[in-house]
Amino acid sequence: MPIQIFKHFFKTGELKKQHVINLIRSSLPIIGLIAVFIVFNTLTHGSMWNSRKLILNQIYVVMISATGVFFIMSMGGLDFSQGSIMGIASIVVCKLSGTNIWLAVAGGILAGAAIGAFNAYFYVGRKIKSFIVTICTMFLFRGVIKYMASNSPVAASMKVYDYDTTAIKLGITFAVLLISFIVFRFTSFGIHLKAIGAGEKAVKFAGVRTDRVKFLIYVLAGAITGLAAFVNIVKNGSATANVGNQLETQILIALVLGGMPISGGAKVKFENVIVGSLLYIVLTNGLIMMGLTTQMMQLIQGIVFLIFVALFADRENLSVIK
Amino acid sequence: MSDIRLEVKKVSKTFGITKALQDVSFNIAKGEIHALIGENGSGKSTLTNSLAGIYHKDRGTFLLDGKEVDPANQVEANNEGISIIVQELGTLDGLTVAENIFLGHEEQFVKFGIKNTAAMNRKANELLKKYGFDKIKAPDMIDDYNFEDRKLVEIVKATYFSPKIVVIDETTTALSREGRDELYKQMKRIREEGNTVIFISHDLPEVLEMSDTITVLRDGVYIDTVKSSEIDEDGLKKLMVGRDVTGAYYRTDYGEEVSSEVVMKVEDVTVPGLISDVNFELHKGEILGFGGLSESGMHEIGKACFGASFDREGRVTLADGTQINDIPTAIAHSIAYTSKDRDNESLVMNQSIRDNICLPSLKELSNKAHMLSDKKLKSFAEEFAKKMSTKMQSVDQFVSNLSGGNKQKVVLARWIGKDSDILLLDSPTRGIDIKVKQDIYRLMDEMRKSGKSIIMISEELTELIGMCDRIIIMKDGRINGELLRSADIDENSLIAKMV
Amino acid sequence: MNKAENTGKRLSGGVKGYLLLLIMVLISWGIFKIITPDNFGSPKNMLSYFEASLLAAVGAVGFYFVMVMGMFDFSIGANIMLSAIVGCVFANRFGLGYFGLVIGAILTGAIVGLLNGAFYVKLRIPSMIVTTGLALIYESVANFIAGGVEQTLPSDLRAFGQMPGNLILAVIAFAVAYLLLNYTRIGTYTYAIGSNEFVAKNMGIKVNKYKVLAFIISGAFLGVMAVLTISYGSSMVAVTGMASMSRNFVPTMGCFFGLAFKKYGMPIPAIIIGEFVINIIFFGFIALGAPTAVQDVITGLALLIIVMLTTKVAKGEIVK
Repeated sequence: MPIQIFKHFFKTGELKKQHVINLIRSSLPIIGLIAVFIVFNTLTHGSMWNSRKLILNQIYVVMISATGVFFIMSMGGLDFSQGSIMGIASIVVCKLSGTNIWLAVAGGILAGAAIGAFNAYFYVGRKIKSFIVTICTMFLFRGVIKYMASNSPVAASMKVYDYDTTAIKLGITFAVLLISFIVFRFTSFGIHLKAIGAGEKAVKFAGVRTDRVKFLIYVLAGAITGLAAFVNIVKNGSATANVGNQLETQILIALVLGGMPISGGAKVKFENVIVGSLLYIVLTNGLIMMGLTTQMMQLIQGIVFLIFVALFADRENLSVIK
Repeated sequence: MSDIRLEVKKVSKTFGITKALQDVSFNIAKGEIHALIGENGSGKSTLTNSLAGIYHKDRGTFLLDGKEVDPANQVEANNEGISIIVQELGTLDGLTVAENIFLGHEEQFVKFGIKNTAAMNRKANELLKKYGFDKIKAPDMIDDYNFEDRKLVEIVKATYFSPKIVVIDETTTALSREGRDELYKQMKRIREEGNTVIFISHDLPEVLEMSDTITVLRDGVYIDTVKSSEIDEDGLKKLMVGRDVTGAYYRTDYGEEVSSEVVMKVEDVTVPGLISDVNFELHKGEILGFGGLSESGMHEIGKACFGASFDREGRVTLADGTQINDIPTAIAHSIAYTSKDRDNESLVMNQSIRDNICLPSLKELSNKAHMLSDKKLKSFAEEFAKKMSTKMQSVDQFVSNLSGGNKQKVVLARWIGKDSDILLLDSPTRGIDIKVKQDIYRLMDEMRKSGKSIIMISEELTELIGMCDRIIIMKDGRINGELLRSADIDENSLIAKMV
Repeated sequence: MNKAENTGKRLSGGVKGYLLLLIMVLISWGIFKIITPDNFGSPKNMLSYFEASLLAAVGAVGFYFVMVMGMFDFSIGANIMLSAIVGCVFANRFGLGYFGLVIGAILTGAIVGLLNGAFYVKLRIPSMIVTTGLALIYESVANFIAGGVEQTLPSDLRAFGQMPGNLILAVIAFAVAYLLLNYTRIGTYTYAIGSNEFVAKNMGIKVNKYKVLAFIISGAFLGVMAVLTISYGSSMVAVTGMASMSRNFVPTMGCFFGLAFKKYGMPIPAIIIGEFVINIIFFGFIALGAPTAVQDVITGLALLIIVMLTTKVAKGEIVK
């Protein structure tokens, strides 16, 4: 019985116990993903599997932009402005798509990076807490989006539909994930990020230019979401006043579902992004297929979010929890 | 029997794997000033903090006038008749003087849930007047007062209700002459009232002058209790350091010539509010000591040379002319720094030993494509952790689970791995047991011999005298004297320049 | 003599604070008065700006208890929405009139505060994360209660939406906050915990209890804000998808004023006047004919600037 195995482990000392808890932590999101997938497929009599293409289509944007936020959260920061970054970048992509498609991609990335730099200036330069900066910029740029798209949606050139193929969208997603994985896992960058999350002061004293790293991460996260905006426009063809709305909440929930400790640090793993995004999309789609109302879904999201945050919070990393 | 105020019986306390107190037992009498002495990490503060409800002992009992006391917090301790004045600030910003004095004891002023602020201020003003601290006004924000005055408020807060025992934990080091005299006066008054003072201090002459009885602790173990009139400073030192400290503990050489080659030149360095106009040179193969009171600014010297100070003026120049103005430049030019605040500034606590050791050397460890391999990092970390004989299960273990001594070994392993030539060691043996201390001293001696230069900043005068080629004494942020290595220097000659 | 000097210094602290705020009022008024002299800033206009600012000021004085302790709350907007809808349902559907409106809203606000505090303390997760998750839940609960329909307050129950009803309710709320802060243990302990949690705990203060209490107080005041909001705007729509977060901004801005003027010993007046200044600027832009979307831009930017000007970060402090 699992319970007995537990008891056995608990008896063999504190470190073993820690080991088991870590094991559960790291496997729970994956088990959850599989379980949720099976449950919904059974409940919907396989119609979820049949509509896998539709579901897959929703994963790209969340997964790509979650990668950038993953970097931010690894170092203990937060970003609530992702939805607005997505919105602005989408509008830029639309406007430029008529001229040249490569220009549109570059424009989206640059617009995202610029907002990221705006966030970073206030966060790193003016030392304001990241969540305050980003809720302000979220609201600020949402206003800009509304202003630009309030009368009618900003439409992209019809050319963008040529790029609406699974190969391109999946290709971009894989490329972002692969590069991010390698950089995070096999370069000093990843170690620096996690170390900043675990103890920034000591990292500074070990010679890392922490402010520079923090600044770059916000720019990078903005740029990645700018790229995701291209995928978004390829999919939708136009940017409405609501474009990218709530993306930040979706990303936050996705990462938390993937087992991401909310304060970042050493226990962060790259799998968090992939598993979390998949779990989030499967869960929401499953709930939609079950015919749940928006408010019911939000209720379930809220509850699941709180449970996962509580499970994965790295409390040793927070001496005083504010 | 009747004149025993406090019986300490087999009190033990561990922090993680550090045994801070082991079965400590002794008695404290009524109407005496009882000093508690020992080196850093000997367990003095742990003991008094447990008595005053700040920590909770693991085992053992405190008997106050024959009755067991086990306070859960300071207020409960106060109600039992025990109060404490701590080393650091014990008053809270954002509250008035009166609110600070009566914090946790507001019930006397509260009626139907409404606090009578006027009555509270009146009572506080009366008390302040009685103590002769008229310049402090009860309704003022405590933020408006300086450190010294806030300590006076703490004295009132800790003693106005005539507690049976008042603990004074290393409060004097931070006070000026007048502040100290005021504190001494209050201590004597408490004794005259038949109550007891437990006095913790590093300043042995002060201890001998002020106290009636002295208890010595070493590495969490009770050593002895003696009458102040029957012992002198040397006797106390012997008790504190212990017999197993032989000549080999520190360096044994005297009269060795130090190279004239200057590796670091510090000119006109000022850090506002901390140090001013500091000038010195560090030579190749030299151990240069910095001593002083803990507020003398000496701890900032390390940071200033490492490029870690804020708003630093002046120049720190290396032999090749490089100016050190930020940490990355310092590290790139082979400078290492270990902070006094080891847990925050030297180590990433919730991170593996591996990453902590590799952190400054990641550039050297990555291949041409800037890629790192786990295997390489691991073997690098293992090599230097083992070199320092760090006690650990594996390098993947988190640093937070290590003892103070082993943490320091990880810090040193990091810099040995980086092969730094100039080491700025701030309080390298702080809170470390004697065995590890000896390892660190030996390491420093080896480094010196291999041509590396060390700046050692320490509050422990004996280790400065034992290890350094030259000692610079700091006072009020300025250099106040310099002594060369010799077998004849004693602590008094240093203290004379410190205060 | 010494005493006179001391009181002189204290007085000047408070006076300095009021002077600063007065200058802010004058400058914000002056700028818009110069740009658009005709439809802005008459005494009558100013009074209506002040009335509008009372809403957020009431919420902000409550939220101040949470902010002083160093915690945060992302569910303010959701709380206001939920409390307003419950109050409206009590008053309207259950026919409890004004009593139902006020008690329903305040009680709901306090319960939301209790939940925020309890989850925060029990789960030991940063408060802003807990309240983000809970905000999702509150929004959906508000939706269930409202049944997807806009909740409108009957016109005979809107006394708190105009003079003198709104002023009376607001003044009562300010007085209660002032009393709690200055004449009860709660105020002392709030500052003590905000100053240094460890020391406060050692002094026997039940830190967790007072943290939960701060959330309850904050929630109850947001309940009062909900009463004023629905009375002023006459109806409330239950939105989902964290859209309620837009209601967070204005009370939060006021709180930063309070924190900045804490050192002058006058946080509550600072919050009230601060909200007034913010409203002057808003109405100034409206007078300029700026589109509503630009309002959002200004709100976001204004909060950023206020935070930037009011927070002082010690050198080397780690900001996350």
